Amino acid sequence: MTLGYVLLQNLRRNPTRTCLTGIAFALPMAIFVAAISFVVALVEIGKANERELRLGVHHKTTLINLIPQGHRAKIEALDPDRSRLAAVCGMRWFGGRVPNAPGVIQSLAADPDTFPTVYAEVDMSDADIENWTKDRQACVVGTGIAENNGWKVGDRITLTSSVPPYLSLEFHVIKIMTAPSRTNVLYFRRDFLSESLKEAGNERYADCNIFWVKCNSAAGLRALQQEIDATFANSPDETKSEDELTFAAGFAQAAGDIPGLMRVMAIVVVAIVAMVAGNTMMMSFRERTRELAVFKAIGFPNWRIVAMVLGESVMLALLGATAGIIPAVILLTAVPMRKLMPGFLPIAQLTVSPLAVGISVAIAGAVGLLAGLAPAWHTLRMQTVSALRRVGE
Amino acid sequence: MALPLSYNWRNLLIRRTTTVLTVLVIAVVVGVFSWMLGFRGALSRSLSVAGDPRTLIVLRQASTSETNSAIPPDDYNKLTQLNEEIAVDDQTGDQLKSPEMIVQVSLPRTRDLGATNANVAVRGVTNSAFAVHRNVKLLGAKPADGAMEVIVGVQAAKQFAGLAIGDTINLGYGGNRGYRVVGYFSADGGPLESEIWGPATMLMNAYMRNAYSSVALRLKDNVDPAAAIRRIEGPGIELTARTESEYWQEQTKNIGMYLMIVTFLVGVMCIAAAFSIANTMFASVAGRSREFAMLRTIGFTGRHLLTSVMIESLLLCFLGGAIGCLACGAWLALVGNTKDMFGQSTFTTLAFEIHLTPLIVGIAIGAICLVGLGGAIVPARRAARTQVVTALREA
Repeated sequence: MTLGYVLLQNLRRNPTRTCLTGIAFALPMAIFVAAISFVVALVEIGKANERELRLGVHHKTTLINLIPQGHRAKIEALDPDRSRLAAVCGMRWFGGRVPNAPGVIQSLAADPDTFPTVYAEVDMSDADIENWTKDRQACVVGTGIAENNGWKVGDRITLTSSVPPYLSLEFHVIKIMTAPSRTNVLYFRRDFLSESLKEAGNERYADCNIFWVKCNSAAGLRALQQEIDATFANSPDETKSEDELTFAAGFAQAAGDIPGLMRVMAIVVVAIVAMVAGNTMMMSFRERTRELAVFKAIGFPNWRIVAMVLGESVMLALLGATAGIIPAVILLTAVPMRKLMPGFLPIAQLTVSPLAVGISVAIAGAVGLLAGLAPAWHTLRMQTVSALRRVGE
Repeated sequence: MALPLSYNWRNLLIRRTTTVLTVLVIAVVVGVFSWMLGFRGALSRSLSVAGDPRTLIVLRQASTSETNSAIPPDDYNKLTQLNEEIAVDDQTGDQLKSPEMIVQVSLPRTRDLGATNANVAVRGVTNSAFAVHRNVKLLGAKPADGAMEVIVGVQAAKQFAGLAIGDTINLGYGGNRGYRVVGYFSADGGPLESEIWGPATMLMNAYMRNAYSSVALRLKDNVDPAAAIRRIEGPGIELTARTESEYWQEQTKNIGMYLMIVTFLVGVMCIAAAFSIANTMFASVAGRSREFAMLRTIGFTGRHLLTSVMIESLLLCFLGGAIGCLACGAWLALVGNTKDMFGQSTFTTLAFEIHLTPLIVGIAIGAICLVGLGGAIVPARRAARTQVVTALREA
């Protein structure tokens, strides 16, 4: 009579209970997988952005205020031998709208000369860079946006700006960006925007909303952050510099703090499944007190009996978790999440990371152990004689 | 006569561990559920207050929000044609229309001690704004004419740092003009409470703007808003307009997405709770078959037993629900009940407070009781069908 056999028999003994527990365990577990996948995805994107060592310099009052393009040269001058910063790329918000379609596409005009360096993860090949340099109307599009609008390389697209003076410009798609952190943005050349703004009579046609400074080291980034803000302090256009993580956190907060919500949900789920499993284990222990006492009486060592109790509860938890994880994985893979996500969360497709599945299984195992602890402890302390006398409470 | 309540109560006490664990599962689910209802309620309350169907928000054609709209003074003057539609001030006889300019200022949130910043709307207004936005009540001083002073909505003052009376905030396109906070205002809990208001002319100078962002109008009582909007959008004026209620609903569409996610998650958890309750009740019924048989023998009917099991499950739900709501209340009191959401198209923040109203507590506990009844029905029917003889024969 192997342990595995006993465990299986025990789970089969009360199929109703095993099913109910399994379902009550599986549903929250499914949420857990989704929540953890989400957090993992955001953390990964955050980490990827952190690795890029970019510093965002924007106006102290708000991102919407423009800062003179002359700031770029002043920032570059802080490090003439390029030991700390690699390049500076000025950007201006365009906020393009596809005619007759709802929603605004995150579109930004970027300095053409430094864009490929500052956004290395866009991974522009020599041919891409040649197109980008040659074609004033070139644009690169995140894969999420491209899929939503059915755009492909070579398409000509027209976008209408959502900010005064509401220009309508035509762009040529030269590349689809697949980097996870760039799936929901579109970049085009800032010189093209400046000329168009100038023609429209906009006085501040050359100014930017933000400068992204590509740094060479984390230490350099911190130092530059201080220096840049000190340089412009008490000038007419004071700046605030933030690393990309902090910058993005402000937006994540504004979207209702979904990452925070997911973390809370994950904790709530763990609490629920722990109690569900614990409850079931207590029940089955109560029913089997006499049986376990018999095992003890006929000379089974304590560890075997404890293993039996703990094994059953871990097995139940893992079964429940599997029943939750598999449908969740299928669902998350099949449903395009980008349709559900607010536009400024850079998640085009919520994929289930192996890490998230690993964490979920580990949590389920831990919960199973935890749920079995109390009954196992009772078993150890059980007086065989009195247990045999007891009629299930 | 039905089985006494104390019978159920004692039953729950006997299996203490199971009862406690089930109650806790229910409490956690109800806690999250009531937070969600509170969030929903706060948001829709804020939006419903905003919605004055007699107020129109006029924007530039094809604009979707005040933030990206621009109305030059010439266009503003065209609105004077609307004699038929716009209400007039009883004393002065002026049309009740309020030209406004919207900009933003980035301020640290008090909620996370300034770790993140929020985009707060700054609205440049004239005196007519107070006549058009009727729910705006001044709580203290009004900015003096021509002074660099602003007033702050109560919600903004609570949720963003540096807006206490006497503080100075830097505005202007260079961000280097100090405006002193001289007073607070309330707006019945509507979205305007998340804003900072200052004199339009001063702010427009500071931002080097010569166009308004939007115009708010108050309609006469007998005017159909739809007809007024048609006039505004028609030839001669060529602007676009929406009622204030529509406008705010549109601005917060993206929040609906967030709510949908939360609702879905809570729904799944409720189903899980139902299974957990079913599990507990099954065990409770299975362990008592002899007891039930005995009760049947002394004259209780199957229906009595069914009711009794249902009541037991309701007791669990009630207890769990009460603990969950209390925990949610404690969470809001200790961790904080302030929340802000980003209007995607306004690029500004709508701040509100979550409160657990008696209605929410009622809905949450009512909902979990339904879940509990759903979970208990099968075991209860099993109890009702107890076969006296077989059950008594069971070991």
